Amino acid sequence: MRTLHRIFYAEILKLKRSRLGFILILSPLMAAMLGVMYNLNAEQPGAWPILLSQMAMAHAVLFLPLLSGVLSAFICRYEHANGGWKQLLSLPVSRTGVYISKYVVVATLLLATQLIFMGAVLFIGLLKGIAEPVPWLMLVNSVLNGWLASLPLIALQMLMAIAWASFAAPLAVNVILTLPNLMVIQSKYGIYYPWGQPSLAMLPQNDSFGINVSLETLLFVIGGSFVLFVLAGLAYINRKEI
Amino acid sequence: MLLKALSADWLKLRRTWIGWLVLLGPIGVIGLQSVNYGLRYHYLMKKYEADLWGNLILNVQYLAAPAMLLGITLLASLISGIEHREQSWKQVLALPISRLTVFTSKFTMIQFLLFVACTLLSGGTLLLGGVLGFGMDIPWGMLLLKCYFPWLAAMPIIALQSWLSITNRNQAVPITIGILVSIVSMYAAQMPDWMPLKWPLLVNESHIPIYSVITGLSTGLVIYSLSLVHFARKDVD
Repeated sequence: MRTLHRIFYAEILKLKRSRLGFILILSPLMAAMLGVMYNLNAEQPGAWPILLSQMAMAHAVLFLPLLSGVLSAFICRYEHANGGWKQLLSLPVSRTGVYISKYVVVATLLLATQLIFMGAVLFIGLLKGIAEPVPWLMLVNSVLNGWLASLPLIALQMLMAIAWASFAAPLAVNVILTLPNLMVIQSKYGIYYPWGQPSLAMLPQNDSFGINVSLETLLFVIGGSFVLFVLAGLAYINRKEI
Repeated sequence: MLLKALSADWLKLRRTWIGWLVLLGPIGVIGLQSVNYGLRYHYLMKKYEADLWGNLILNVQYLAAPAMLLGITLLASLISGIEHREQSWKQVLALPISRLTVFTSKFTMIQFLLFVACTLLSGGTLLLGGVLGFGMDIPWGMLLLKCYFPWLAAMPIIALQSWLSITNRNQAVPITIGILVSIVSMYAAQMPDWMPLKWPLLVNESHIPIYSVITGLSTGLVIYSLSLVHFARKDVD
């Protein structure tokens, strides 16, 4: 474990000049475009939540779960490409440490996207001249809850990304399981669906989707599945033949 | 020559699970719609009383459009990913075979797989309608039009994704772009007619679907030719 920060540093080094920034700003950029196109009445009460749910719709329902898969596959790319697993694991590092640092890097990158997204919401809100003061608590809550809710999903995606050498393979599974989101999150089983959790946590409560899940329930389910998926990932990487 | 290249590409795809992907896409779309119809059977039967088949096809299409765009992204990436991962571009291009053929073979393979997926989708729609008891009054023209035309109209996106996947070593870039394109396409119905993303929906101001297909095919051909020129001059690693 003492070497953890060194593995972490090595992971970051591998990401340099990989056009990662481009991937991170894409979704907030698209959300901003949707926000600009949306015909918002800036004077009406509750203009901020309306703007947030408009912009968070595509971002949280589809892009966030998909991005967690892209980033997980991204971080395992070099290892799969050139016999990197053998090289990395023959160093005096623990497999658990490798898993943890890869996980932390992906989670951090996803947090960065969330913060950029929040910036985009603020920018569009001010651009449209919304009369109400900025509801910082609601914005920060939405962005952070969305991030917390994608943590189990990252663990699940990481497991697939480590297991399969093909870059697109884990993503194909991810895509196939993300598309049902469009319907699943409207049903009462949505909170048990890892791909649907980020959107349920991020969209304002009681909005047009009619989501009526208490945040406590959601966080309880998320915490449980997080522990489960991380343990599964650790168990797998420690036994994997490389 | 192209046939030989195709059979080589086919050989590389065998026993990968790419066939399952082609199978799972349509099954997923039909499966979700059967859940939708199953859960709300009486409500939907009443709502769509006037045109049961037509509305089923529209409902299937609503999910199939983004699914097809995501499928294009994944197929393009999987097919070229084999070469990138094994770093065998140099090897393939060292063979006495033109770059044009190599590129076209990969492109044709994607088309073939998409054709299979479209066929499965129309078959699945028929099956679902039959199980739900919609009768034999099937609008064949509309069914075939809604299943195959979106594929033809999506040609610019297929050409773009093939080009991006084949020329980028880093597959995260084409895949992220593909995902983004698919998500933006869900808002495409409100976009102006010149947007290529709108064409697979077969909606345009003159209400003639074949216009979307023609613009799609011709724009696709232009992008395909440009990417051929680029690939023929590109340094590979």
